[in-house]
Amino acid sequence: MATQQLAGNGFTNAINLSGGFKAWTGQSAFDGEEDGLELFTDLSRPTDVLIMAYSLEEGLQNFYETMVSRAESEEVIKVFTQLAAIEDLHKDRLFKEYTRITGSDDRERFLAKIQKKMLEGGLTTEEYLARFGTDLERVDEVIGMAMSIEGQALDLYSRAAQRAENADNKITLEKIAAEEKTHLEKLGELMDSILGENDG
Amino acid sequence: MRWKQFFTPVKSMNSGEAKQLLQDHELTDVQILDVRQPAEYQAGHIAGAILIPLPRLSDSYHLLAKDRPLLVY
Repeated sequence: MATQQLAGNGFTNAINLSGGFKAWTGQSAFDGEEDGLELFTDLSRPTDVLIMAYSLEEGLQNFYETMVSRAESEEVIKVFTQLAAIEDLHKDRLFKEYTRITGSDDRERFLAKIQKKMLEGGLTTEEYLARFGTDLERVDEVIGMAMSIEGQALDLYSRAAQRAENADNKITLEKIAAEEKTHLEKLGELMDSILGENDG
Repeated sequence: MRWKQFFTPVKSMNSGEAKQLLQDHELTDVQILDVRQPAEYQAGHIAGAILIPLPRLSDSYHLLAKDRPLLVY
């Protein structure tokens, strides 16, 4: 009904998702529309947004590193190590964007601004583990959890972009969200390749 | 009452087709619209979806782009 209403009001590209959310099998997020936005609302410049995002990515990387020490299965340890390494690439890209905007490639100075103990998506490690109830010895569950976290991050950045009053912040947040989408796709490929190996 | 809206044929996609649509486009090129109530949204929604509950929809057209794909559920 909503789709029809939109189509009748000039939204020529409105598409109905058949079966609604219940039928959705892709990436989901679980925050309310305002949750986590406080991380971004008071930021006045795109560079502040990048610093916040970097803090979140680093928090997630620390989480994966902690999991490396907690896990017992070699395969799971390998995956967590891989996930932590992917965050390095992500952090590099955020710093590159910072350099592009500021003209400064002084990473030490940039790092001094980073806040510790943040997890991507705005939850703490314990909250994540409790929420996902992941079996840390199963590779597919671990990657599934990582995908949920990235989906959560994608959702947070998208919502922050929608609400951003500062146009430059909005563009930066959209870029970061687009990065998250790529990241999520890579995890999907990792999941496929690992499940494929197990099948064979 | 605008009767036309009830007769406008709309495109429909299943979950797999919708995922493909999202994968084939840049994130900012596809809008995902959740028209359920806030509590339902909070319990779980498609990552990146905008929440505009149905009762608010007709007052919120300005928040959406008419020319870009708009996935609605």
